[in-house]
Amino acid sequence: FTEMPTDNFVESSFWNFDALFQPQQHPARDQHDTFFLQDPAEAPELPASYMAKVRKVHSHGGYGSQGYKYVWKVEEARKNLLRTHTTSASARALFHLAHQDKFTPVKYFSIDRVFRNESLDATHLAEFHQVEGVVADRGLTLGHLMGILRQFFTKLGITKLRFKPAYNPYTEPSMEVFSYHEGLKKWVEVGNSGVFRP
Amino acid sequence: DEEFNELCFEFGLELDEVTSEKDIISKEKGEGKAEGASETILYKIDVPANRYDLLCLEGLVRGLQVFKERIDLPRYEKIIPAEGEGQRLIITEEVAKFRPHAVAAVLRNITFTKERYDSFIDLQEKLHQNICRRRALVAIGTHDLDTVSGPFTFTAKAPSEIKFKPLNQSQEYTASQIMDLYRTDSHLRHYLHLIENKPLYPVIFDSNGVVVSMPPIINGDHTKISLTTRNVFIECTGTDMTKAKIVLDIIVTMFSEYCEKPFTVEAVEVTYPNGKTHIYPELAYRKENVRPELINKKIGISETPSSLAKLLTRMCLKSQVTGNGNNIEIEIPPTRADIIHACDIVEDAAIAYGYNNIQMTIPKTYTIANQLPLNKLTELLRLDLAAAGFTEALTFALCSQEDIADKLGMDISATKAVHIANPKTAEFQVARTTLLPGLLKTVAANRKMPLPLKLFEISDVVVKDPSKDVGARNYRHLCAIYYNKNPGFEIIHGLLDRVMQLLEVPPNKEGGYMIKATEGSAFFPGRCAEIFAKGQSIGKLGVLHPDVITKFELTMPCSALEINIEPFV
Repeated sequence: FTEMPTDNFVESSFWNFDALFQPQQHPARDQHDTFFLQDPAEAPELPASYMAKVRKVHSHGGYGSQGYKYVWKVEEARKNLLRTHTTSASARALFHLAHQDKFTPVKYFSIDRVFRNESLDATHLAEFHQVEGVVADRGLTLGHLMGILRQFFTKLGITKLRFKPAYNPYTEPSMEVFSYHEGLKKWVEVGNSGVFRP
Repeated sequence: DEEFNELCFEFGLELDEVTSEKDIISKEKGEGKAEGASETILYKIDVPANRYDLLCLEGLVRGLQVFKERIDLPRYEKIIPAEGEGQRLIITEEVAKFRPHAVAAVLRNITFTKERYDSFIDLQEKLHQNICRRRALVAIGTHDLDTVSGPFTFTAKAPSEIKFKPLNQSQEYTASQIMDLYRTDSHLRHYLHLIENKPLYPVIFDSNGVVVSMPPIINGDHTKISLTTRNVFIECTGTDMTKAKIVLDIIVTMFSEYCEKPFTVEAVEVTYPNGKTHIYPELAYRKENVRPELINKKIGISETPSSLAKLLTRMCLKSQVTGNGNNIEIEIPPTRADIIHACDIVEDAAIAYGYNNIQMTIPKTYTIANQLPLNKLTELLRLDLAAAGFTEALTFALCSQEDIADKLGMDISATKAVHIANPKTAEFQVARTTLLPGLLKTVAANRKMPLPLKLFEISDVVVKDPSKDVGARNYRHLCAIYYNKNPGFEIIHGLLDRVMQLLEVPPNKEGGYMIKATEGSAFFPGRCAEIFAKGQSIGKLGVLHPDVITKFELTMPCSALEINIEPFV
């Protein structure tokens, strides 16, 4: 797995949400309880032709999708924030991959800080780290995803795994990964995953 | 309980908690208050954000029963009344300017019980919170049709011209009085701002001028639904047409179960200001065609087309094999507004198959792994700094304005810091532009530890940068401090020399590094130096100014070093 560049804490709503098919008005966007920025409040630059594609898919659909059928606003996408997940870096990495002359399969990873506007308590911090992995190739299946996750967690010493259907705006199918915690004697969520939407 | 938990897990729901009303009250208010409360077991279930059809008991049970193949998915039918007999909703110009969309439907001969009634109200609230975005996009109103007579008019009038008895009130109020009345209501006051400052307020009234509702705030008491209500008029008004249609479809499909003719809904004709009419609810059934190989391939299973069709039918997506067995035709019901692409169908097939039944495989992708050079450098330096006797710290990237400016004797505007618009506490106002405050705060929290305290951190700081596409960028900094009874300038200087030695940067002016005496607002005058390497200034080192030390609630002398390591990658 090759490391992705993640050295930007400040991200635009475009890369953090819109490019990941998270609708502009949906509670799923608030769900993350984001830190929006006062200064710089807006991203001065967004990739123009890509943005046009994103706008089309959100409002009218495309690539086989019905879309969300609402009015997509560029002002909303320009809003700067502190990234809520490293998936925004994955989106950028995949964007670069798409612009390569020839497609090559890749495996990417990153481990870096993310920010969520939550009140601090015994199990929640406003900033924490996420481990993220992406595999891009032809003919990948859900079974492959499960296989990789199984290997990853085995290396960490976690072997009892179960997968549960979940929902992410940008992946379908999505799975939450649960592991049996011997100490707590119950299944706890250890990860989230999915196959990116076409 | 176990069985239900398993079922939820497989289906994609989370059984959050098994509790009872008594438990809830005792947790919130104490054992004493819980006396006499119901002990019937309650399940708290978490539903995914895109499944509006599972938000009420009726929908949830229906979904699970179809999943377990106990019942067949009901077919929702729209009944269009004969010409002139159906209800009509007329939208006028005035309201079309700011709340233009409205849809409506009628549930005929419905039978309510207390549970059904509670569930009905509950679903409306959940939809309001969820897809309606707290009534901003869509507002729902439900009314006893027998108390009024259509056709209904959806228009906008001046607040003083609207007068009616709001739900559960005992007297009539004008619209402006209603705003004041509900200003302190814990529930409704959050919605007042949606129309408060408009010159005209939206209002729906019937053919006799009886006010049916004032969306999105409150309905009239006149049309209040009770347990004896037989015919319900539902209207959804708002600013987003797609969502209004989805909301209406969900409500009628869920509760048409209790109509005399189950799963039938009576249509209403909506007339627009331009004279066009439209029949609602749409209750659209959509057909999608998916190849069975696609589903098998995407999941990693190999099921026959007919078994795939059966799996999808279990997920409320009625399917059948067509063509010569190489196509599956799927009918998407109005309850599944979340199906917008073939991949959604693939997911449902996988859920029905059971995620944990899928065989796990490793992809045959060959790739060569690489570490990001900046991170590789960071990892190497971390090890060596620890070997030099310094302890690593991991501190917050967000801090208060004072931390990076006032406490270091600088002005906040000079720092080019990134400011946060909605911090929950003062501790998260800005993103740090220097690692120094974090380390000093760490020392302050560890005063009881034996001296000397030698800390370091190699991590990112954030600075505004107009040349970047988002307007800011990260820099990888290395910061180390020495805190003891003596300032230890020579120790910090020695650390810098060691780091440069590791980076193979010679101590000379051309192509190497050098230090030059300078002034720094955070440093003791005469004990501060700027570090130059590779032709640029990369940071400072020196003894910290007593003011800085005191502002961070410390008492001993301290020396510090902070450099940008990116030029060395």
